Amino acid sequence: MPTADTRLFGVLEYEESWVVSFPFGLPGFEQETRFVLLERTEWSPVVFLQSLLHSTLCFLAVPVAVLDPSYSLSVRWEDLERLGLRNEQQPIPGLQVLCLALLCAPENGPLTANLLAPVVMNLQTRIAVQAVRTDARYSHQHVFSRETACW
Amino acid sequence: MLVIRRRPGESLVIGDEIEVEVLDSSPSQVKLGIRAPKSVSVLRKEIYVVRKQNRAASEEVSSESVEKLLASLKKPSVKPISPL
Repeated sequence: MPTADTRLFGVLEYEESWVVSFPFGLPGFEQETRFVLLERTEWSPVVFLQSLLHSTLCFLAVPVAVLDPSYSLSVRWEDLERLGLRNEQQPIPGLQVLCLALLCAPENGPLTANLLAPVVMNLQTRIAVQAVRTDARYSHQHVFSRETACW
Repeated sequence: MLVIRRRPGESLVIGDEIEVEVLDSSPSQVKLGIRAPKSVSVLRKEIYVVRKQNRAASEEVSSESVEKLLASLKKPSVKPISPL
């Protein structure tokens, strides 16, 4: 079983079928193409997107629906193609894709979630992209707290 | 903000080394061509914003910071009162 060093979970044994691949990386991390999604029940609904290439790289994320149940996905056709979803329709979160918002917890500032660019993963192939929206409907620094989130 | 009107085929120059040419325009879209030195990064604004945000999001993720963050998000759990 392959192993990877992680900052939060020590040495992690993983199976190849767990790997989430980002063929084009993420903006700012274009070389990071292999991640695993980890969760701990006591930390739910927060999940961890851990790089398999660099142990220190780990994003915190929550399902978009937790932050905004009425979130309307808008994935550009280039990204749909990368995901292998060439339909003209937007994919259905929970059914075709997993849709996560990356969290940012700055030392002096509120906790925010990036709703401008959700991570969208094809549930069948585990291929993912960070689908940057071109409209200004959602913020890349959506402020939220336990009062506004639905968990 | 400086506002300049240009037609397709016309261009403008920023500093000594950067040229932006309007290649084509339609009611909903403008196609631009940019000539700039390799050292100048040219990005769609939303990608630039997300790139910065990703870098900030990936910093300082340690067990302590995660615990702290999660503690601040945890809803107080409601415990049933045990009958005496």
